[in-house]
Amino acid sequence: MNAILELRGVHKSFREADGNLIEVIRVKQLALGTGEQTALVGQSGSGKSTLLNLIAGILLPDGGEILVNGTNPTQLSEAARDRFRAANIGYVFQSFNLLQGFTALENVLLGQMFAGGTNGGDRAVKLLEIVGLGKRLHHKPRAMSVGEQQRVAIARALVNAPPLVLADEPTGSLDAKNSEAVLELLQQICADNKHTLLLVTHDAAVMKRFDKVIQLEELR
Amino acid sequence: MNLLKIILKNMRQRALATTLTTISVALAVALTVAILHIKHGMENRFEQSAIGYEMVVGAKGSPLQLVLNTVFNLDISPGNIPWSLVEKLREDRRVKAAVPFSVGDNYHGFRIIGTTDQFGEAFGYKLAEGRWFNFSEAALRDAFIEANEHAHERIAEERGETPPKPAEHHHEASEAVIGATVAEQTGLRVGQTFIAAHGLEPSPNAEQHTDNPWTIVGILAPTHTAVDRGLYINLDSFYHIEGHEVRDKSKAEAKKEEPKDNDPDPGQVSSVAVKLRSPILALTLYREINDSDNAMAAFPAVEIRKLFSIVGNIDHILLAQAILIGIVAGVAIAVSIYNSMSERRREIAILRALGARRGTIFAVVVLEAVSICAIGAVAGVIGGHIIVFLANAALQRVSGFTVSAFEFQTVELIVVAGCIILGALAGLGPAARAYRTEVAKNLAPTS
Repeated sequence: MNAILELRGVHKSFREADGNLIEVIRVKQLALGTGEQTALVGQSGSGKSTLLNLIAGILLPDGGEILVNGTNPTQLSEAARDRFRAANIGYVFQSFNLLQGFTALENVLLGQMFAGGTNGGDRAVKLLEIVGLGKRLHHKPRAMSVGEQQRVAIARALVNAPPLVLADEPTGSLDAKNSEAVLELLQQICADNKHTLLLVTHDAAVMKRFDKVIQLEELR
Repeated sequence: MNLLKIILKNMRQRALATTLTTISVALAVALTVAILHIKHGMENRFEQSAIGYEMVVGAKGSPLQLVLNTVFNLDISPGNIPWSLVEKLREDRRVKAAVPFSVGDNYHGFRIIGTTDQFGEAFGYKLAEGRWFNFSEAALRDAFIEANEHAHERIAEERGETPPKPAEHHHEASEAVIGATVAEQTGLRVGQTFIAAHGLEPSPNAEQHTDNPWTIVGILAPTHTAVDRGLYINLDSFYHIEGHEVRDKSKAEAKKEEPKDNDPDPGQVSSVAVKLRSPILALTLYREINDSDNAMAAFPAVEIRKLFSIVGNIDHILLAQAILIGIVAGVAIAVSIYNSMSERRREIAILRALGARRGTIFAVVVLEAVSICAIGAVAGVIGGHIIVFLANAALQRVSGFTVSAFEFQTVELIVVAGCIILGALAGLGPAARAYRTEVAKNLAPTS
């Protein structure tokens, strides 16, 4: 298997207000192959989002090794890590995290801008059309439904054709109908483009859609 | 999508704060530009007007008043000097030219100045059309005698005596050459006549010298000096006007005095502009005149420098105020952006998660402050010129000069550059705060 994501001995602790160190994450080993779709489940507060932030290079581990597409982002300078993230990792958040002052198309183009994208927005428009927002390109998030907003976020995450897509409870803010539609879309696009998908959830209905489901506790 | 678009979006999202801080900067720049522009323009105009007027001689009093009256057609004359002094100066081998002036009337607020035909040649004023007025020393002497006779007649009448019969006198034509601004603003043209009003300022109750109209024979080319605002008449015609005393004496003094025939000093003038053969000789002549009892000499260049050193302090105070407004505007920008950082932490975290570097975020915030200052500065420069344009009417009233409102100066570029630096400094604090934004913490969903 050609591994897109590999984690070995990764651990991360935070210091609490009283000065005590508390270990939030410890992963002995995790490997995801090209195009593989995995659901990562765990109790609330078990460190699922922290793990995604570690993989994305937003947080740095206290120890261990993270390889994304063969590169260890933790060994890069911060600026290089930011650029690496933009080009290699798509990130879908639970609360969409769209910029309210920007239109749907501009939000997607922002994702492209920091990766040094030069295709002039064609791929952004195409992706928004794929997610069913071809006629909503110039609408701002506040003029869209939550389902539409999450679809914009998916288009933004995929605009640089990243080999790895991280999704942090992407249906957490959606109703059942929208959840189903958004997941269908995300999984379909990832499958079509052989993007590796690691999705964090605690929703049983979401888990059912994945062949591979990993309990975070199993990774310790 | 580019950084500029992100900056503009950020500014638009904080439209009210952006607008208010931009206006503050624009106000500061407009004031600075207007003050600098008016100062520079006025200094230029005054210096330009003083060129050629190496020394002026007039009655003892304030040298600045003498200079303002003779060279700039401002203020009132400090008094009169005897005609014999004009002749003495003309005969002095150190003097190249001595051009007398007599003032006392106006036409619609523009001063009427009696002088000789030497005026144009001595100072290099060119005619745009027409010719110079005719002037002869004989006619001037005759005008003095006639004016003296009128004075005798008046004294005799006041004493209840039979006035002597005045002799017949030949008058040269009353002719005038007018300045470019006078022609432009009054519409007077060559061949037309005008009536003088008594006094140096326009007044509805002023006596009109209807019995002595002047014919315009020439219009001066624009000089951009006080000359543009004068009507220059042959000096002899000045004394044809009733009430223009040839002697600087009160009526009471004149009553006591017995009229004299063949007076060696028959007339008086307001002042004399002196051109010297060599500047080295200026100081000795200056001392000689100032040591005498009846006259005073002044150097226009020195008096103007003194005037600007006084006015300069006011300029500095106004400039300091404008700079303070600029600094306050800079602080307002810093505070406004800094405060908005709390609301923008999530946006910054999103941008960082999308791959924006810390340096990019820092630059976005600094450039936002710079953009506000740059827009304010450009608006301020335009505003400053509009202020100058609007202030020109008042400037003309006070000084007789106007300043070109649409002439740009290098100093304006320095002001704009200063604003950009101010913006960059104002943006540093908020940018540092944005730089330190914790990404993971601010990406978490808010309930």
